[in-house]
Amino acid sequence: MTLPKIPRISRELMACRVAAEIQPGHVVHLGPGLPEMVPPYVLPSRGAVFHSANGILGFGPRPEHDIGDVQLVGSGGRTVTLLPGASIVDQATSFGLIRGGQVDIGIVEASQVSESGDLVGPVEMGGGMGSHAAATDVAEGAKLVIAMMEHTTRNRSPRIVTRTDYPVAAKGCVDLIVTDVAVIQVTPQGLVVRELARGWNLADVQAITDPHLSPAPDLGYMSFWMIGGDIPSKVWKSGPEAVADIPDGATILMDGFAGPGGMAQYLIRSLREQGAKDLTLVSNTAGIANVASFGTPPGFLTIDHSLLVESGQVKKAIASYPVSPRPSQPSAFELAYRRGDAELELTPQGTLAERIRAGAFGIAAFFTPSGAGTTLAEGKETRTIDGREYVLEQSIRGDYALIRAHKADTLGNLVYKGTSRNFNAVMAPGARITIAEVDEIVEPGMLDPDAVVTPGAFVQRVVQRPADFHPYEPV
Amino acid sequence: MLPNKVEASVEEAVADIPEGARIMVGGFGFPGIPEALVKALMDRGVGNLTCICGPWYGGTRRTIGTASLIASGQVTRVITAPPVAPGPDPASEDDRMHLEIMPQGTLAERIRAGGAGIGGFYIPTGIGTSYEEGKERMTIGGVDCIFEEPIKADYALIKAQAADTMGNLVYRLAQRNWNPIMATAADVTIAQVDEIVDPGMLDPELVITPGIFVDRIVIAGGDNDPS
Repeated sequence: MTLPKIPRISRELMACRVAAEIQPGHVVHLGPGLPEMVPPYVLPSRGAVFHSANGILGFGPRPEHDIGDVQLVGSGGRTVTLLPGASIVDQATSFGLIRGGQVDIGIVEASQVSESGDLVGPVEMGGGMGSHAAATDVAEGAKLVIAMMEHTTRNRSPRIVTRTDYPVAAKGCVDLIVTDVAVIQVTPQGLVVRELARGWNLADVQAITDPHLSPAPDLGYMSFWMIGGDIPSKVWKSGPEAVADIPDGATILMDGFAGPGGMAQYLIRSLREQGAKDLTLVSNTAGIANVASFGTPPGFLTIDHSLLVESGQVKKAIASYPVSPRPSQPSAFELAYRRGDAELELTPQGTLAERIRAGAFGIAAFFTPSGAGTTLAEGKETRTIDGREYVLEQSIRGDYALIRAHKADTLGNLVYKGTSRNFNAVMAPGARITIAEVDEIVEPGMLDPDAVVTPGAFVQRVVQRPADFHPYEPV
Repeated sequence: MLPNKVEASVEEAVADIPEGARIMVGGFGFPGIPEALVKALMDRGVGNLTCICGPWYGGTRRTIGTASLIASGQVTRVITAPPVAPGPDPASEDDRMHLEIMPQGTLAERIRAGGAGIGGFYIPTGIGTSYEEGKERMTIGGVDCIFEEPIKADYALIKAQAADTMGNLVYRLAQRNWNPIMATAADVTIAQVDEIVDPGMLDPELVITPGIFVDRIVIAGGDNDPS
């Protein structure tokens, strides 16, 4: 085969082209190799949050003048800096957020990509040992997976292949391939060329590609322009606005353990005003704060889940402790349950927390010893593992989470106060839309990255509880 | 009396680690590797160890780290995630070292499951790849998943920035990585720290690893210089 001698674009321009895919506010995972070249081409004003496998959210460029902080190394092994609003998580959370769908774009270096989007990691790295690194997790979990590579190998054989020559890091996961000659989309109908490097035509690219390529209707030359737009603000003016789009039938994660301290009471009241019906509440108690004292002043009731139960908005609760500690004073949910107005799925407290965590972090189901041999295990698969009986429990994912935190920055990073952390920190990653009610909203950089408990990547909306908000209602 | 978990030296901290122990070692790249504990373990020379760790491409030449432990010949089995770093080539070592490799997120979750008393879990990562071989598959909610088992260890060697004498730990920046999950998943967790303070000196809101997970703490040097 005679190869056309047409100039290809540089690695820098490839990085620049990939950067153009990043939308304002995106969480972007960067794998080792070529993807590490992308950040300088992303304007800081776009507010992209770069994630590295070792648990940094919001890292910036390499330090300019010195070697940097040895305890601040990206997954590529070089020191990095932190941008205002950065946070640090452990390894399980770092990958949990990838599987949980919090990464908008995963950028990986590839050796080969198949017609159907199978990914082979960079096999040439490390003297031929290969370096899938986090590619398997990222390709599986990111909403959009971009593979970067030169279009052909050093000995000029195609990297876009009908069948891969090496074990795949992930199957059918690549969405977009950016090479030094073209931008190619992986579709169920096959590979579609969207853009060409200047000087190249479709036939030239086809000549160095195994599978058949079709042209996109608007096939043109590579564009390096960023689409404009502001970073969408996470700060909402009021509770009613923040909960306005919660539809009937939504599954809502909300709790404050039991007492009022960690409860998003302003959002609960806003949701009562909003009136959405047939809600499923995933919560520890389903509302016992207003029958269990917790320091409630005489003549008042604590605002809790009971407001929503009493207004007939709750169809079902998934809870561990839905009954009043005082039999003479049943909770609103107990009464609704006895009337047949609400269903209950009772689950042990630790299992509830673990099911929510599993839903947040892309774990479908897990075996727990809690509840084995009791009525709580009825109808569930059981398995004996190392001589102990375990029950299979399914994950729970919320449509919305109503979270109570102490402080947020405008990027949604949260810190909690005392025991009000409880279920809030578990629930925050677990919903499609997480709304946090906080006492104070500060600018990015005002929260210590080591002290952030819930990274902003998990939080979509932040509302300040009004200074004059009263967490009690008259009896 | 409050428990005092402070050890006088790294040598004493690792003195009872026997032949054949399963050992977790924290760290990702340079930050968070408990290099003094690793060195003390290498000095003891106990063999037939199983090492559970993340990718160990940090600390290869001038520094002591996971790589040097694995290269020392004391380790016969490594449970890790890609990239598998330069060091002894498993193929050229007459199969002396057995490697079990899985996606990084799966390794993290298996360690976390070990620490949290989970008997196993179903995860979509690696479906349709060689990682799936020999494993149970189940479709849950329309998603194909692989069954993965928890991982536990006899000892965890971890690194933190500071501890109080009860073993509560705080980490600094990217030092955190594998350390907090490994701390929960071993029978005996030994933490190398830069500083030890009295109980009450660490803000409870900032403690990442509660002291109940930590058995021994010892002060030893700072992070390696990666240059």
